[in-house]
Amino acid sequence: MKKRALTAISLAAVMAFGLVGCGSSAASTSTAASTAASTAAESTADAGAAAVDASDIGDITLIMSSRDQFLSLVEAAATDAAKEMGINLSSQDAQNDVNKQLSFIETAKNAGQKAVIVNMVDPTTTAQCIEAAGDMKVVFVNRLPENLGDLTDSAVCVSSDERQAGTYQGEFLANYFSEQGKTDITYVMLCGVLGLTNTTQRTDFAKSSMADNGLNATPIQADLACEWDRAEAMNQVSTLISSGNVPDAIISNNDEMALGAIEALESAGIALEDRPVVVGIDATADGCAAIKAGTLSMTVFQDPVGQGAGALQACVNLITGAALNEGTSFEVDADTGHILWVPFEPVTADNVADYE
Amino acid sequence: MDKAAKKNSWVSDNGIWVVLIVLVVLASIATGGKFATVGNATTLLTSESVKGIMAFGVALAILSKGIDLSTGAVAALSGVVGAALCQLEGGSKLWGTSTMPAIVGILAAVAIGVFVGFLNGAMVAYLHLHPFIATLGTQLMCRATAKMISNKPVSNLSDGYRFLGRFHSGAFYMIVVVFLIFCICLGFMLNFTRFGKSIYAIGGNDQAARVAGINVEHSLVKVYMWCSLCAAVAGVLLGGRTGSVDPSTTGLNYELDAIAAATVGGTSQTGGICRISGVICGILIMGVINNGLVMMGVDDNVTNIIKGLIIIGSVAFDMRKNRVKV
Repeated sequence: MKKRALTAISLAAVMAFGLVGCGSSAASTSTAASTAASTAAESTADAGAAAVDASDIGDITLIMSSRDQFLSLVEAAATDAAKEMGINLSSQDAQNDVNKQLSFIETAKNAGQKAVIVNMVDPTTTAQCIEAAGDMKVVFVNRLPENLGDLTDSAVCVSSDERQAGTYQGEFLANYFSEQGKTDITYVMLCGVLGLTNTTQRTDFAKSSMADNGLNATPIQADLACEWDRAEAMNQVSTLISSGNVPDAIISNNDEMALGAIEALESAGIALEDRPVVVGIDATADGCAAIKAGTLSMTVFQDPVGQGAGALQACVNLITGAALNEGTSFEVDADTGHILWVPFEPVTADNVADYE
Repeated sequence: MDKAAKKNSWVSDNGIWVVLIVLVVLASIATGGKFATVGNATTLLTSESVKGIMAFGVALAILSKGIDLSTGAVAALSGVVGAALCQLEGGSKLWGTSTMPAIVGILAAVAIGVFVGFLNGAMVAYLHLHPFIATLGTQLMCRATAKMISNKPVSNLSDGYRFLGRFHSGAFYMIVVVFLIFCICLGFMLNFTRFGKSIYAIGGNDQAARVAGINVEHSLVKVYMWCSLCAAVAGVLLGGRTGSVDPSTTGLNYELDAIAAATVGGTSQTGGICRISGVICGILIMGVINNGLVMMGVDDNVTNIIKGLIIIGSVAFDMRKNRVKV
């Protein structure tokens, strides 16, 4: 009989220790952060905007939608920047659950934080996130709200402009073919998941920028929906090749699909010099390797460090009342005034070494 | 039972509350009192309401010596249909119909839930499929159907449809009221109805229950219908609270959290043992962990390790307790 009571008590004790253990580890992180703060303050004391008093900022929570390869880089960049500025940033993973994300936001509010950084699980829930944040400032990162009108002076977004990625592809192709003296070419477009904003904008702006730069490009057939997937792109491009239709250019919404197209060209036994020019987006490790190998002509780099560190800087700027882009090299969106655009960067054989 | 034994049984039955209180006190101290505010308590309750209602559902299934793995997917399927019926005009609308009154969307969601529950129950009771397998099958089918209905989040929902999940005034939250209603329903069923008593009997020993004149098959079907009904309402609440239902992520893995909450609350996986107060306590413990550790800025991987320890610890404790009873 006594044993049962004993078990109850010892169990409670074990759980309690778990909590205390975490409490102290959290405390030690913040000490580490403040130590870093003092050193950072010394080294950047004359850097103007960067020298913000961390105690005015308080704690900030970063809520990620999930932790895929790219988003993990964004998260790490924000964490590193926080350490440098002496801000205590803790990050949480909403595991693609909107409900959980809202709870994290509310918890941050209850903890008395002044701001929260949110990587939205679902871009249609912007208004709900802002409502849950109450008086807190909100910085959305990476994913743009579906409705940009939801953004306000105290709820802003730090993201990259998908239209720019498409534009870079178009400009590159126009340049590439004009050097060869061609003005009329054929192409095929490999699209991500249809209906998504990034698919639509990358596709539309690649096409329009070819036209704007004087390249008369004709699709040899309707755009291929390859779902961002390498294998799917390989299948569809293989079908295209075996029907005898080889375009002058293959434009892909991401590197994975571009690599699928390259696989298809390779397995069809087409020599490198006879192949269409292939362009992608993302500058993944595989993509950069393909650029070095000469199979991929160009890709576009999306800047996770710019997004992560930019989001933290925007957070600080909102709290201190500084201009949104204070302390960054990024431009504020001219239409809304509530978006900080982190630029894409074109990557070719000339500069691929910088992105590995 | 002598006095000492009575006292000890009280301790083991309510030990879980001691754990909860210890956790609350520790979280309050570690956050410098920020945890123990009315505002944060409402946040905790509103966050846990959805999974809590699912836990009230699955607790009954576990009591009957079964399990229900389909609840998260049922929430997604019901949620998507209900939300699609109550989408506002303008914006991208999934179905061409005009915006239905909220009650139509909610009833449609509930009807789907009850239907899936009926299928689950029939498979378990009449085809004698193991509930784990039967509900795993419906889980896959419900999730896939939800994704077939819409391949992107269904948002832009009417205020009426969102009322249950979103309405609040001061510290009064509608979603918590719905949670309490389901809590009272389950408590009443378990303690004051023949149906409730017969579930205890079936969970304890279904052959004995049959001999005692209980219609085991009917009761089991009702158990799974209740479970899926809870899940469907959870789906409606999720849509209301978040303003969007994403078929691929809404309610994903919620069934496991619900099972964990019911289990931590002392609902025995071997059937026949469940107390409503225990289930409530289990839900609150999960809430305190989710909310308190986040507030303390603890890494979320560590949070999950602690959750795992608590689930394992509580079941180990429970098995020990029940073995002594036998």
